[in-house]
Amino acid sequence: MINRLGALGVTFLVIVTLIFGLLRLAPGGPFDGERALPPEIEANLRAAYHLDEPLPQQYVRWLVNLLQGDLGPSFSQKDFSVNELIAEGLPVSLLVGGLALVIALITGVIAGTLAAQRPGGGVDGIIMSLVNLGLAIPGIIAAPVAVLVFAILLQWFPAGGIGSAAHYVLPSIAAALPYSAAIARLWRGAVVESLQEGHVLTARSKGLSEWRVLWRHVFPIASLPLVSYLGPLAAGLLTGTVVVETVFELPGIGRYFVQAALNRDYTLVMGVAVVYAAMILAFNFIVDITYRQIDPRMRLES
Amino acid sequence: MTSRLKQVFAGSVFAAIASITLFSVILFTLLGPSLSGWTAEEVDWDALETPPDDRHHLGTDLVGRDLFTRIAEGGQLSLGIALLATGISVLIGVPWGALAGYVGGRTDQWMMRFVDTLYALPFILVVILIVVVVGRNTWALFAGLGAVYWLDIARIVRGQAIRVRSAAYIQAARSMGASTRWIVIRHVLPNVAGPAFIYATLTVPGIILAESFLSFLGLGVQEPDASWGVLIADGTASMESAPWTLLFPAAFLATTVWSLNLLGDRLRDAWDPKRTRT
Amino acid sequence: MQQLILGLAFILLTATYAVSGHAADNKPLHLGLAGEPATLDPHRYNLRIEETVLADLFLGLTTFSSEGKLMPGAALKWETSEDGLTWTFHLDPNARWSDGQPLTAHDFVYAFRRLLDPKTAASLAYFMYPLRNAEAIATGKLPPDQLGVRAANNLILELILGLPYPHLPERLLYPTAYPVPKHVIDKVGDAWVKPEHWISNGAYTLRDWKPQQYLQLARNLHFKPAPAAPTVSYHTTANTQNAYNRYRAGDLDSIAGFPTGDLAAIRTERAAELRLAPQLSMMYLVFNTRSAPFNDMRVREALSIVVEPTTLTDKVMKSGDLAAASFVPPMVSNYAHPAFPHAGQLMPHRQRRARALLTAAGFSSATPLKVTLRYAAGTDAKRANLAIAAFWQQIGVRVELHQSELRVHYGDLRQGNFQVAQAGWLGESNPEHYLGLLHGRSGDTNYGAFADKSVDTLIDAARKQKDIPERHRLLAQAEAAAMKSYPVMPLYSLTTRRLVRTDLRGWHDNSRDAHPARFLVR
Repeated sequence: MINRLGALGVTFLVIVTLIFGLLRLAPGGPFDGERALPPEIEANLRAAYHLDEPLPQQYVRWLVNLLQGDLGPSFSQKDFSVNELIAEGLPVSLLVGGLALVIALITGVIAGTLAAQRPGGGVDGIIMSLVNLGLAIPGIIAAPVAVLVFAILLQWFPAGGIGSAAHYVLPSIAAALPYSAAIARLWRGAVVESLQEGHVLTARSKGLSEWRVLWRHVFPIASLPLVSYLGPLAAGLLTGTVVVETVFELPGIGRYFVQAALNRDYTLVMGVAVVYAAMILAFNFIVDITYRQIDPRMRLES
Repeated sequence: MTSRLKQVFAGSVFAAIASITLFSVILFTLLGPSLSGWTAEEVDWDALETPPDDRHHLGTDLVGRDLFTRIAEGGQLSLGIALLATGISVLIGVPWGALAGYVGGRTDQWMMRFVDTLYALPFILVVILIVVVVGRNTWALFAGLGAVYWLDIARIVRGQAIRVRSAAYIQAARSMGASTRWIVIRHVLPNVAGPAFIYATLTVPGIILAESFLSFLGLGVQEPDASWGVLIADGTASMESAPWTLLFPAAFLATTVWSLNLLGDRLRDAWDPKRTRT
Repeated sequence: MQQLILGLAFILLTATYAVSGHAADNKPLHLGLAGEPATLDPHRYNLRIEETVLADLFLGLTTFSSEGKLMPGAALKWETSEDGLTWTFHLDPNARWSDGQPLTAHDFVYAFRRLLDPKTAASLAYFMYPLRNAEAIATGKLPPDQLGVRAANNLILELILGLPYPHLPERLLYPTAYPVPKHVIDKVGDAWVKPEHWISNGAYTLRDWKPQQYLQLARNLHFKPAPAAPTVSYHTTANTQNAYNRYRAGDLDSIAGFPTGDLAAIRTERAAELRLAPQLSMMYLVFNTRSAPFNDMRVREALSIVVEPTTLTDKVMKSGDLAAASFVPPMVSNYAHPAFPHAGQLMPHRQRRARALLTAAGFSSATPLKVTLRYAAGTDAKRANLAIAAFWQQIGVRVELHQSELRVHYGDLRQGNFQVAQAGWLGESNPEHYLGLLHGRSGDTNYGAFADKSVDTLIDAARKQKDIPERHRLLAQAEAAAMKSYPVMPLYSLTTRRLVRTDLRGWHDNSRDAHPARFLVR
């Protein structure tokens, strides 16, 4: 456990260093606006943001600040620190991502279970066709079409921004769609497979109700691949939230990330990248531990 | 292999539909530009943002460019990038996985730990960082995508290589004093080629989606070049006044990804009986 | 009888004033803001959208009326010395900061010094370079207390200039000339821009700022006359599609921009809400004269004369933008706008001449001229630049287009990293503000590094004049001289495209796109 935590720390440090190195290679500056600035004023700005220091010094400064939890000032949002911006944006991103995760899990598991009841049957056919469709329609199509249909034409939901619960409905469904399909497919396969296993057949022959068989004997086994899929799922959802935040104008960190990348706001890009990396690492770590807890084979090994 | 191919298509209408669709899309992207009578950058000042008609079969965009041509050329770019990036990911992933799996031990451990570390990073992060650094050009884009997508292939190939390692003929070759390099090239690589090919097939739609995603956000392919992602982004901006600018590119992207996914899955099922549909 | 009517009118007026000025039943305003302000520090700002918000939060010496005209602000009146170098401003004795502290001439002295202090790193500090020693201070050659600004007493402010600058009152409209609350900055430093510390002297104060969502402004209780709307919320919208959606959903009372493609529909369905107003601005193409092929005047002329700005605005963009005939925008008044040498010639003739010029410059169909045209991202820009490419293709020029983000684009321009590029300048009603961009010593705002001795001499001569007519006469000569060598290709003046709800009163279209919230009533 200590070992794993140590490895986690090293991985994080490597990633963070990579991010810093990559960004400082980037050309161009962050200070250009609609109105140009004279060179002497740009020099003043560079000095104010310590961009005039040698690179190693900048790196050490940034790393020391990072370890103290300080991500520095934002170039493009001068009145806010990167910490403040992330503090504003992260809850929104987590809410959308979390909602999408829950929606994807619930709909995926239900659809997968239904489809697994009679593989090759009519229900299975319909569900798997929908699944394949869901996998082929990315957020960049689903989100704008959802706005067009449900916000502009039908006016059931707001077209963007936040404020009420209704604002979150379209974004989280749009972000969940492809992952709901992926989970349905995965879950269906796992359920079909475990239905064939010896103890399940025995349990069935004992006359246990179908629901009980599923709940007691099938789901525990089928959930193993699902849990190990949660890591990639979280990374994927993160990508998904970037799109929906952009399309629905949600004030989350994904939109900051894209805006900052387009405008060369180094500190903000780095800050968000660090937060993303930390979240994914932490999530994978938890998934890993959970997996070890629920997988009987793993438990025996350790 | 032929029996497996048969299995892919056996009794499935969908597989047939998917292959025909894919074939038509490829044909369309290759021949489309010469059929339309317009070039992708030509501006028809008399037809700004017009719906499909005899002059422009799929309508025009906001600046009066022929959508039929642009979707075809965009398809060339989207598919081309996906194929090239997949190629890169195979070039990195196959040797990496084969070596790790065959050599085993500490080397394997370190090589796979590296893969796991990269796995922990969301691909979007890496690609956006690469794009920010290298600047937004098409080459950087697919280099970045290839550099991220080799991980899956490396994992699959490693698993296969471990299986091959203990095979009798390799043990024999080793006892006869063959070098590691010779064994990897002569025996391991040919044996992992099948699964590598299948996973590459599944990588293609993934990269098409990734490219469209980046282009949509303005980080991928740049005007005046068009990829499907660029066209969808354009279409989103004018979806209300000109819905066809969104619907046509979206339909092409979705059907292509659908066909590739379906064929890839079938290939995989045929190769790996454990995953076969019951 | 006449007196009676006047008396009645007076009573009516005061009654309306009482209702609109003090009653609490005026609705809060919800206005769209096309982007996120980078800062609300008036000395560190750079963007147009920031000017919009800052104009509600602060009051400069001069200010905009509801019609976008210059009017007295914190200064009630001002006079100029005989030599045009000393300007004396008489401040409003009733002016207060939002915490009730009186606003004094010392606040302005502090503000101007802070603006030009290198430590402030103000990107637009050069707006106040007309002040004596300003440039030397900004470049660290002199200490800030050497600046040409002085408080004779609490209510009399003197600005001392290096050279005459008759347009000074107009220059004072920018946030760079706003006062900042020294008594707060001394206490909390850079955190003074946070809502919890916010003190300003405008009609409103900053109550809340949620990045990527909104900025909320509340009435400054010490500002007279009190503004009608109790609060003003600026909602940031990142793109026009979203702005339009939210306007239609009733969330916003006014938006600055909508998808160009929807203009036709809006003209028929929302004609009363549509506000098109030409803006004091110039969109132009700049040639990089540092290197081949654009160090060759023949090439610049060839490409310039085959582009017809009116086709661009009327046929291509159809967005109501105003085609340009010269570099100084047509809205600049009291100025004799010169014409290009090719003005009035027919297009076939121009194309023949352009081909001949290109041939003379060494290009042919075997070795065609190849150019990369750069522009900043945006639908309108894309349309315009595609059209320009089409014009050029007609005379056998191969054009490649390159689009990048606004900030990145201007970064490339300033570094001279381009061949020919689109550029824009939002300006004043002062020809010098535009022609300065073509002065050989104006630094990197002269993106194309154009230098012409006769042009420089004329501009320098104009800068020594204290009378506007003489200044403008020399500047018009300078522009005519510059246009002969085609350093830039003027395209059009922007038109602001807004939607304003019909129940929002007090809105007057103007060329400065200035709509102070204190004049708006809902």
